[in-house]
Amino acid sequence: MLDLLKSVISGCNDYAEIRYHKRIQDIIEARNGALTKVEHRTLAGAGIRVLADGGWGFVSTNDVTESGLKKALSEAQAAARAGAAVRKDKAQLAAVEPAQGELVYYDATEEPDIAEKIRALLEAEKRLRERSPLIVGSITRYTQYEDEKYIVTSDGSAVHVLDNKPSFHVFATAGRDGQLETAIKSAGVTGSWADLMRKGDLNTLVDEAVDLAVKKLDAEYAKGGQYIVILDPGLVGVLSHEAIGHTVEADFVMSGSVANGKIGKEVASELVTMVDDGTVAGAAGMVLVDDEGVAGKRTVIIDHGILRDYLHSRESAAAFGMEPKGNARAFTYRDEPIIRMTNTFILPGEDNLDEMIAGIDDGFFLKELGQGGQADATAEFMFGVAEAYRIVDGKVGEMVKGITISGQAFDVLESVDAVSSDFEMAMGAGHCGKFQAAKVDAGGPYLRCRVTVGGRHE
Amino acid sequence: MKELELCDSLVERARKMGADDAEVFYIKSRQLGAVFEKNDLQVPKGDDYDGLGIRVLLYGKGGAKQGFAATNMLSPDSLEETLLAAIAIANASPDDPNHWMPEPSTIEPVPGRYDESAETMSLEDAVEQGLALVNSARAFDPRVTLDSAQYMVDITEKAIVNSKGIRLVEKDSVFTCLAMGFARDEKEVSSFDLEVAVTCRKDEIDPTAIGRKLAEKVVASLGATTVPSFKGDVIITPYAGYDLIAEPISFSCNAQNVQNGRSKWAGMLGTEVMSPVISVTDDPKLPKAAGSTSFDREGVPPAPLQLVSEGTLNHYLYNCYTAKTDGVASNGRAAGSDHTVPGISTTNFVVASGKHSLDEMIAGCSKGLLVSRFSGNVDPVSGDFSGLVKGGHYIEAGKIVCPVKEVMISGNIYDLLRQVVDVSREYVDVGGSRMPYIQIEGCSITGK
Repeated sequence: MLDLLKSVISGCNDYAEIRYHKRIQDIIEARNGALTKVEHRTLAGAGIRVLADGGWGFVSTNDVTESGLKKALSEAQAAARAGAAVRKDKAQLAAVEPAQGELVYYDATEEPDIAEKIRALLEAEKRLRERSPLIVGSITRYTQYEDEKYIVTSDGSAVHVLDNKPSFHVFATAGRDGQLETAIKSAGVTGSWADLMRKGDLNTLVDEAVDLAVKKLDAEYAKGGQYIVILDPGLVGVLSHEAIGHTVEADFVMSGSVANGKIGKEVASELVTMVDDGTVAGAAGMVLVDDEGVAGKRTVIIDHGILRDYLHSRESAAAFGMEPKGNARAFTYRDEPIIRMTNTFILPGEDNLDEMIAGIDDGFFLKELGQGGQADATAEFMFGVAEAYRIVDGKVGEMVKGITISGQAFDVLESVDAVSSDFEMAMGAGHCGKFQAAKVDAGGPYLRCRVTVGGRHE
Repeated sequence: MKELELCDSLVERARKMGADDAEVFYIKSRQLGAVFEKNDLQVPKGDDYDGLGIRVLLYGKGGAKQGFAATNMLSPDSLEETLLAAIAIANASPDDPNHWMPEPSTIEPVPGRYDESAETMSLEDAVEQGLALVNSARAFDPRVTLDSAQYMVDITEKAIVNSKGIRLVEKDSVFTCLAMGFARDEKEVSSFDLEVAVTCRKDEIDPTAIGRKLAEKVVASLGATTVPSFKGDVIITPYAGYDLIAEPISFSCNAQNVQNGRSKWAGMLGTEVMSPVISVTDDPKLPKAAGSTSFDREGVPPAPLQLVSEGTLNHYLYNCYTAKTDGVASNGRAAGSDHTVPGISTTNFVVASGKHSLDEMIAGCSKGLLVSRFSGNVDPVSGDFSGLVKGGHYIEAGKIVCPVKEVMISGNIYDLLRQVVDVSREYVDVGGSRMPYIQIEGCSITGK
């Protein structure tokens, strides 16, 4: 395939990139005692992007014969020239070291067949219903993306990438006297079914979801206000990705995000170092080479409290005079690469979690993202919390529910006074949405910081 | 047609491989468009696609086992692999008494769904149309920035064949024009707002008018001020109504959600679920509308359904599976692509217009808020919602007083639907929905 792609763009006088992407996606869902969905999907084709005279053209096709690809390339060239005549701000590309070689991170021959996976999902759903008589709703879901790409650019990148990103979601709804409480547990990796099971054993996820949903039936609402809290790696990941990460994507920076003009300035406590890193082995946002043929590298976004870098495509890197580090991603061959995060996380510190808790007189221990939430270009955020406990006089106490946290994410990071030595990637099951979907991961250590806690009686 | 012959051959092959029933749903599409960001062209885009989904049923003692696999690699080897995958999934699945495939019915085409002029459009034409949109917004007022704007053309042919004798094709064209933007006056930035048009006919879409309309809206929201919290009427515009009203009603009428216990309206057919001033029809026969269709994802012809008449719930939306579960006939609302098993969706969601104009509604409002856009969360299961009002205007003594900012609305949409007091004569087509302005009394509005 690499030879075919090289031959198609050989002789093209413009910058051209051609990406063949074959995705095999499996979805299995069991719900309330029935197998509600099993889909095996193959989506394959080529996305061709051309930069001519400072204008882009993008054409995608599932006709991957030589003539089909040449026709698409010719259309993309014509579109780029038509676009260049209209486009005011001409695009340029940062120079990069061309990526080369084989990056194979998955062996499909060792994967269980679909029948075994269907059985596992059905058994887990049955286990969920049978674990407590209070369960009134049950869902187990498996999603897998097996992605094979061949990426060739006219300035020398030529790579073959193969990886697999599977995930589990478990939804348990407990009910009593008209009251309903739902708990969601999930796990996602880049790797095999066995890797996914090691990250989040399906039966363990089921048991945790049921126990949490049932426990929430007895939880009380809490009083809101400003509190010192412990955020677990799940919420640290959400804060890093949703509230901070999007504001440092260079396209959003150019649109006027709060991070615009802050390079070199203090934006967080000196205890905080935050990175985006597509090379983290096994994390769900692993991107060894991006869809512009740029090798993934670690981007240090915040270094001991100082904002150091944004996330770039080759085009934005040229505009900012920075180095692109593998953040231009396309979800399918029908999407053009845009700036996306990969694995975004805060590095662990040196503090002990128990001692961090012991230092709080009146606060909360908060775990994982609950339902609802939003963040915007100002880094203002509001997130639901899935699991919350009071901390009184340095001790974790009773569970509370209905908790949201809000604030300005950089202000929250400024308030960090302790960073634990633990570390977990915790957001690998979901997708990030920004015009198109992307598999990402995020996480970090436990943080002690100040946030606005929304409760029931404010 | 070549597509039908391909579907025929795959259905036949599936039967030979052991499927008791089989269905092939095929899509061929050509899409082109131009994407603008920050008043400048970002990229012209084109896509050619064809793909298909194969669904098989194996009958057993407890019903049927279903298997589904899809591909857009249409070589003989890939098609054979896809058939084998569908059969393997069916063999691994339990019997389910509610899987079945429908028999053929009489199909009546919907007029005006295909505009031949789409065939001759090029990426250059899409750039020209998008540019007209951007230029008209900027010409109206240079303070306007179009953060994102698109002009897209989509030509789609769909075909379905099943082993019960269904054999259907349909072709349509869809033109979409979308603009999102804001106005900036020195340091003041207005609310973001959007304008969208979706139709099957090229001459029904006017990018210049869309750019101007958006510019008028965002410029009018400059100079916004805060207001204190108050209780009063809220007039929901068609765009805000799409998120706040159309989505929860569609969700709660969806038989999958009813049967899963997620619909607030389970077991409530024939009862009043909202104010009697509201009637809602799901109309697949609306001429030139993007949601119109002569057959659904399973080949069943949908007819117009009055989901809600004067506040009373009449129907749920069914595909074949959910219809059998409830012991009724499918009403042709199976939805999905070649890459998905049949789900459920509305076609064109139409809230019936009322007698009064928007101006008359405002004139009759002693204290309230016109909500141009809603930015927040709506939980369709519980109906709880909360979020920011964007492009809001404060109304007092029958007049619009000023644009407002930092205003939140929250509550339960199913409760508020019972408090609707009026519906406007004017309506706007928002994607697949036709929405009037909707006036709700007794709302809590949180200001500053």
